[in-house]
Amino acid sequence: VTFFYTVCVCVSGVGKSCLLLQFTDKRFQPVHDLTIGVEFGARMITIDGKQIKLQIWDTAGQESFRSITRSYYRGAAGALLVYDITRRDTFNHLTTWLEDARQHSNSNMVIMLIGNKSDLESRREVKKEEGEAFAREHGLIFMETSAKTASNVEEAFINTAKEIYEKIQEGVFDINNEVRRTRKAFFTHSASWTECGLSASKQQSISEELLEAGKCAMPPPHLITCCLCRLWGRIFIYVTM
Amino acid sequence: MFGRSRSWVGGQGKTKNIHSLDHLKYLYHVLTKNTTVTDHNRNLLVETIRSITENLIWGDQNDSSVFDFFLEKNMFAFFLNILRQKSGRYVCVQLLQTLNILFENISHETSLYYLLSNNHVNSIIVHKFDFSDEEIMAYYISFLKTLSLKLNNHTVHFFYNEHTNDFALYTEAIKFFNHPESMVRIAVRTITLNVYKVDNQHMLHYIRDKTAVPYFSNLVWFIGSHVIELDKCVQTDEEHKNRGKLSDLVAEHLDHLHYLNDILIINCEFLNDVLTDHLLNRLFLPLYVYSLVNRKINPQVSLYLLSQVFLIIHYQPLVNALADVILNGDLSKFTRSSASVGGVRRFTKPPESLERSLEMSRHRGRKRTQKRPNYKNLGEDEDDERAGGGGGGGEREKGKGTEGGGGGGSSKGSRASGETAEEIEMVVMEKCKVSELTEQNITDEEKTAAATRTHAQRSRPFLDMVYSALDCTSDDYHALFVLCLLYAVSHSKGQPYLRLQLPVPDQERSSYSLVLVERLIRVMSQAAQPDGKVRLATLELSCLLLKQSVLSGSHCIIKDVHLACLEVHSTQTRGEEIFLDMFEDEYRSMTSKPLNVEYLMMDASILLPPTGTPLTGIDFVKRLPCGDVEKTRRAIRVFFMLRSLSLQLQGEPETQLPLTRPEDLIKTDDVLDLNNSDLIACMVVSKDGGQAQRFLAVDVYQMSLVEPETKRLGWGVVKFAGLLQDMQVSGVEDDSRALNIVIHKPSSNPHAKPLPILQANFIFADHIRCIIAKQRLAKGRIQARRMKMQRIAALLDLPVQPSATEVLGFGQTASASPGGLPFRFYEQSRRAPNDPTANRSVFASVDKVPGFAVAHCVSQHSPSPLSSPSPPSSGSGSTGRCDSVTASTISAQSPTVSSSPAGSVHPPALAPSLTPASQPTISLLTDNSADTLSVESLTLLPPADPPHLHPCASHIVRACVCDVNESKRLLEASQHLCLHMKKDSFYSQKMGWKPVKLGARSTFGFFCTQVCPVVCMRVFFFCFVF
Repeated sequence: VTFFYTVCVCVSGVGKSCLLLQFTDKRFQPVHDLTIGVEFGARMITIDGKQIKLQIWDTAGQESFRSITRSYYRGAAGALLVYDITRRDTFNHLTTWLEDARQHSNSNMVIMLIGNKSDLESRREVKKEEGEAFAREHGLIFMETSAKTASNVEEAFINTAKEIYEKIQEGVFDINNEVRRTRKAFFTHSASWTECGLSASKQQSISEELLEAGKCAMPPPHLITCCLCRLWGRIFIYVTM
Repeated sequence: MFGRSRSWVGGQGKTKNIHSLDHLKYLYHVLTKNTTVTDHNRNLLVETIRSITENLIWGDQNDSSVFDFFLEKNMFAFFLNILRQKSGRYVCVQLLQTLNILFENISHETSLYYLLSNNHVNSIIVHKFDFSDEEIMAYYISFLKTLSLKLNNHTVHFFYNEHTNDFALYTEAIKFFNHPESMVRIAVRTITLNVYKVDNQHMLHYIRDKTAVPYFSNLVWFIGSHVIELDKCVQTDEEHKNRGKLSDLVAEHLDHLHYLNDILIINCEFLNDVLTDHLLNRLFLPLYVYSLVNRKINPQVSLYLLSQVFLIIHYQPLVNALADVILNGDLSKFTRSSASVGGVRRFTKPPESLERSLEMSRHRGRKRTQKRPNYKNLGEDEDDERAGGGGGGGEREKGKGTEGGGGGGSSKGSRASGETAEEIEMVVMEKCKVSELTEQNITDEEKTAAATRTHAQRSRPFLDMVYSALDCTSDDYHALFVLCLLYAVSHSKGQPYLRLQLPVPDQERSSYSLVLVERLIRVMSQAAQPDGKVRLATLELSCLLLKQSVLSGSHCIIKDVHLACLEVHSTQTRGEEIFLDMFEDEYRSMTSKPLNVEYLMMDASILLPPTGTPLTGIDFVKRLPCGDVEKTRRAIRVFFMLRSLSLQLQGEPETQLPLTRPEDLIKTDDVLDLNNSDLIACMVVSKDGGQAQRFLAVDVYQMSLVEPETKRLGWGVVKFAGLLQDMQVSGVEDDSRALNIVIHKPSSNPHAKPLPILQANFIFADHIRCIIAKQRLAKGRIQARRMKMQRIAALLDLPVQPSATEVLGFGQTASASPGGLPFRFYEQSRRAPNDPTANRSVFASVDKVPGFAVAHCVSQHSPSPLSSPSPPSSGSGSTGRCDSVTASTISAQSPTVSSSPAGSVHPPALAPSLTPASQPTISLLTDNSADTLSVESLTLLPPADPPHLHPCASHIVRACVCDVNESKRLLEASQHLCLHMKKDSFYSQKMGWKPVKLGARSTFGFFCTQVCPVVCMRVFFFCFVF
């Protein structure tokens, strides 16, 4: 089973499209006299032995249309806020971006703060500590990367995906149709039932409850506590109240 | 596999540099050798295409000859050739991806023109990919998006062909406008916006004439279907189970509105006409507005959606027309559906799909380009097998007759088509064509019709409905939406005048404004009820509206509104500790997050009936309180809001709130006179290991760490200052000389963890110093909290004129801060930088708690100028003030109150927290209703001198906020008080209390105490000037 997640990347002009290409297509090796970037990419990754598909859409060039950025945030499960460590102004803009993202997104959206171009140590204008402090203050994950040397690029995206994955496992994440769809798909996937070690009638009742929960994006509290299910794991933790 | 192909390519050894013209030539060679795609060469081809892309981008950035070669050999044709061979998903995705990368990274105009010439790109756009494949779909649409970002006045000619009337990029994209995948829909919207943005008249004419009507009518239908689904979701909701789905649908609707607004902002005039026409006549009026009186969808849903419309869309003609119908429209022509004047507005499904419409318009060439776009003109000649088509015929004839009418067809026609289930029909009096609406609100027929009627008879069903929904005696479900709508209409940028002052004849305007204001006040008074069903958001919004309509109006309708309410619940589990934190926290969160109506209207949860339980996860301001704690929180908030409203309406500044003002606090690097004050030397070991020798001083609200000032003896420089109330002190296990002290910063950001501003071990000289310090800190903390509680109590008096505040029983501070209690201990003038000559001792020796610094007793020497008969109590507390704070009880007070002569009451030696004002001139009211008074509800008219009322209120309220231990005695006291007041009804006459006239309006006050038999007390004070 594969799953789709949409992660959007914001803040323009800081080399994020290169970052994205580095992550989605390894064949484009970074070369000193060539800058290539991309605004859309998809890639399969593996977390906890599960195949997960990441779709990444870039908001670049569409900032003038409020409706577009708004919709992007809303559809995304995670976002990467990228600034350029050699340009102080990109760092200063983060607050505005973050506010925007928070306002328009689901409150559970995972946001990662990325200081890009860490290879240009000599021209650094924003200290690593400042980035860390900003991230701590606003509850973000922080990392410094370099699209040129490919350092930390993989980690940045995968850590974000991991965080999303964890949130889904906890059951707090339930933002969009994609998630719900996959959840439904899993609930109806009968193969996993046999491995729970539950009686057939019990399975039936759980399955009904889960289906009910899968129908609405935000299941009522008793259902959440009732069926803490691990979407990707084969084990269901079934807690009765 | 890529690795393998790479090595294969590299292994040829033809080029050392993979980025060069030579390498491109080699890649070309590979392409010519592999013209047909097979399983064997597939990877090689993909890698070759990728390498070509890389080379082209490199060439674009470094070497122009690369592009010449690419063009010369027409290499793009190879791409197309590969694509057409049904080479399968893998190759398709790779090809689309590389094309994407290619177009995105080309920076030179000329290079771009090279790539776009020959029409190859258009061939790729119209290629029938397998769109059921999610990945191909995603790559394809982002390819189109990338292309659309490259559109400008020059490049548009490569995409739009004037002669063949072809604009594949646009028409192919909009076919996916209702794709199930949200990211695809977003991309489609981006593409359309990028297209509309290009200022090319020919292209825009094509868009309008050939695509605008089909696209917009389908879009409007798509939006409308979502709305109906949304409504269904609200209707069928039980126990808030549909909330998740609902918030999705609401967000979807918002997305649409933002998108529409973005189109309208581009301000392409003739596109806007078509769009406005469709929106108004096929969606907003028939579905939203009409539902206000004839529930097609729930009125609350339509109010909610309309508010969103006004908040988001700012296009003047559209907004004005819509507001006009809501505020002035009537249903007079409701029955005359066949009348020629009243347009028939229907929300109905377009008879054909968008794709089909586009097909038709393409085939029919330029025959109709001169004509005004009309939906009915499309697909006229086609042989129509579709269900909807048959019925459409009749409509078309009609549509041609009323050219540009933009209305839907007759209902009869479509009903025959069997789509009745999907259509929502409405007939509403209408102002006819949209174009007319902009300049002239009423058609000739309307004018004559209006002339025959008198204004008084003119009914405005929509407006009436809106006003009647403001009533919130049972709940404020509808009222919140109405307030939002009114707010949105009045704030809509499209309005040249304030819409709330209705555009009707004069006498009606004032009366309608009055109606609104009266209703707003009613909402507020309902909110002030202890068990009112008004949510905080509703209250805040009505305050906003009231301010707006009264303050900005040319003549003030109300001069004065004083509303105060407080309801305090004391339970056994909760003492003043929590109350203070709550009080300050509420103020912080209220001022840091002022209500944003737009954000409020983004929340789907308010669409469901108001609920009280926090288990739903609904924000506190958007639901009713649950439990005593939340009821208290709500009461505090209500108090803040009404207080600020009252002050603002009177044009007075806030002087008492917030309780802690940063400018009043001791700051780091302040220089203080510490002569005679108690200082304890200690070693401060911070968490990260830093050590420093400091002196610890405890102030009224703060503790500070100072180090000696070098220039002046006995002065100190503050190195750290923290609020005592946020401090935690604990001993250190293995060291009796040490204390662990943590001070948290009051958090304003909900996402951040509470950050300790100080986290350190204090090591003292010996364990005795340590114990002294600990006691001092702990006492200081209690004292600081008490001081604040007193200030809250003082606040709850809510002086009608804060400037005339009585002494309030805090004699020691009266002259230091006339407004009430001190914000800080150190007077500004004593701060070294301001007045270095000031050398009076700050830590005066009057305090009786050893080593404990308390406020300097100033008023002992200077009688309060405001209290005419100087209260005997002012001096009495001076000696044992600190001790009495803790030891004080109200019990001493009750006999005093009940037995005191009618002249004045002097409660002696009361703790500041409990001391009533100097003169609790409580009196009963001589209103006609005096006989009916009971203990539970006493009606008082405020005296001629309004402040005199407040001591009474403060007395009760103060009683409430004090410790739980004392509440029983309090209860007795207040009962006594009430009885006393009741008995001595003559007393009030003596004191000269009487109803007061303020201008032409009568003033009345309302005072009510509710004494529950339990320890729970509700005190409710409410003063109202009408």
